[in-house]
Amino acid sequence: MDKLSREEVLHVAHLARISLTEEEIEKFRVQLKVLMDDIDKIKEVKDYDDEMMFTPIEENARLREDVVGDMLTAKEAISNAPKKNGSFIEVPVMINE
Amino acid sequence: MSKYLDLSIKEIHELLVDKKITPLDLVDEALERIEENKDLNAFITINDKVREEASALGEVEPDNIFFGIPIAVKDNIVTKDLKTTCASHILDNFIPIYDATIVEKLKENKLLIIGKANMDEFAMGSTSETSYFGTPLNPHDKKRTAGGSSGGSATAISGGLVPLALGSDTGGSIRQPASYTGIVGMKPTYGRISRYGLVAFASSLDQIGPMTRTVYENAALLNILVGEDDKDLTSVKKEKEDFTRLIGKDIKGMKIALPKYFVSDIVDEEISKRIKEVISFLKENGATVDIVDMKYLDTAVNLYQIIAMAEASSNLARFDGIRYGYRATSFNNVDSMYEKTRGEGFGDEVKRRIMVGSYILSGENAKTYYDKALMVRDDITKEFNRIFKDYDLIIGPTTTRVAPLLGTSKDDPHKAFMDDVLVIPVNMAGLPGLSVPVGKSSENLPIGLHIIGKAFDEATIYRLASFIEEVF
Repeated sequence: MDKLSREEVLHVAHLARISLTEEEIEKFRVQLKVLMDDIDKIKEVKDYDDEMMFTPIEENARLREDVVGDMLTAKEAISNAPKKNGSFIEVPVMINE
Repeated sequence: MSKYLDLSIKEIHELLVDKKITPLDLVDEALERIEENKDLNAFITINDKVREEASALGEVEPDNIFFGIPIAVKDNIVTKDLKTTCASHILDNFIPIYDATIVEKLKENKLLIIGKANMDEFAMGSTSETSYFGTPLNPHDKKRTAGGSSGGSATAISGGLVPLALGSDTGGSIRQPASYTGIVGMKPTYGRISRYGLVAFASSLDQIGPMTRTVYENAALLNILVGEDDKDLTSVKKEKEDFTRLIGKDIKGMKIALPKYFVSDIVDEEISKRIKEVISFLKENGATVDIVDMKYLDTAVNLYQIIAMAEASSNLARFDGIRYGYRATSFNNVDSMYEKTRGEGFGDEVKRRIMVGSYILSGENAKTYYDKALMVRDDITKEFNRIFKDYDLIIGPTTTRVAPLLGTSKDDPHKAFMDDVLVIPVNMAGLPGLSVPVGKSSENLPIGLHIIGKAFDEATIYRLASFIEEVF
């Protein structure tokens, strides 16, 4: 069966910021190849014009006034953070000396 | 056990108005049914405050047929203080701090949210088997799928647990499960309903819609769901209308198109045969049904894969283990925290789609795949508009086969998309589409008819659907 290389799988996993186990790498070598072949079929479509459609409602697109509305409290805003300390969200050290 | 929930919404409403029953009776009956049918896995979370909410509703509103009616809400629609998981491990403890606009509307109309319906993880899948919380089963045959991604909502209605549910439809996720379980499911026009508070999968395709037992109840529920919202600038401002207004009218003179592709050999014979019977019936009743050629329909799954995976990879970048959701416990630095959080938090289907989506949007690939898909998407939309110059509606089967056995498409990344081959084109063009039951197969499994309308012409879809519902 056609497979992606291990490196190809690790490349897309890195783009997606997803860590994979050894077992997953092997599984996805096959499964991602199926999907990559699927998306390649777009290359076979020859008869098309080059106008792009970004949303079904382009004509009705609107903007709203930029005004202050209801706001969350700090407590609400961090209520679902998996690691917090007082009113702060804890994250790993990002800047080293 | 009481049987009030088997009555129509109108009949239940009369009992409420006459004070023969209370909303609490309805809630208790729904909770009892859910408990007795736990094996159906229709729900991820039950609203443990719903009895309190039922008692607090106060005087019955005689003009509001939804007063006190229990409803299921798909678990990718956020509900304040009620756990919302998207059927994913990464959100299995997520308690939203606000209500989706659509949930505010349910509450304003005094509907009672009984719980959060099971689904495919982040709505990615066509059998609901990608849920982290077990698979909802088809009440017509528990060995079969209820479809997906709104499988729990479909199971809840079809199994008689609640009379109303909300689903979401990115590539058929309301209509396909509706077809597999023998209920009515509508994906309204893109922009009809605010998506604020719907956890985004593919933003240019996603739309919330009603799932019900009957066409009338579907149209009536849509009445209270629609409207523009400043929190979702893709929601569209339209004159208020009553979507039930054409229900009960005849179909004389109605012009209906049936694209050849929808009755080609990709569709099981038994289903094609039933669709032909429906067509004869429509013709006998004064409608014209013409078989038409439509280009690009066979490219829709391909477009969907590219657009949906690309948009999903961008939307799901928000799950980083910092602000909400699961965070991995062991990592060396911030990068490995992201990677492990997402690696441990997402299931296989979601991982596959995010990885391929990231690939699609990386560097020059964005032009090769995404931009080209948007170009062909524009062509397919123009093709629909061309047909709608001459026709009122387009019809076909909702699915190519009846509900398949569980386990037949799991781990097959291609099959998961092919279940939706007939319903995906509608999302590309942003059009409204509905599945209505048209009887059962020889194995006693439901068959669905798919009705596609012009943009913002849901009322005409309901007109045809109700006419068919009376007979099949």
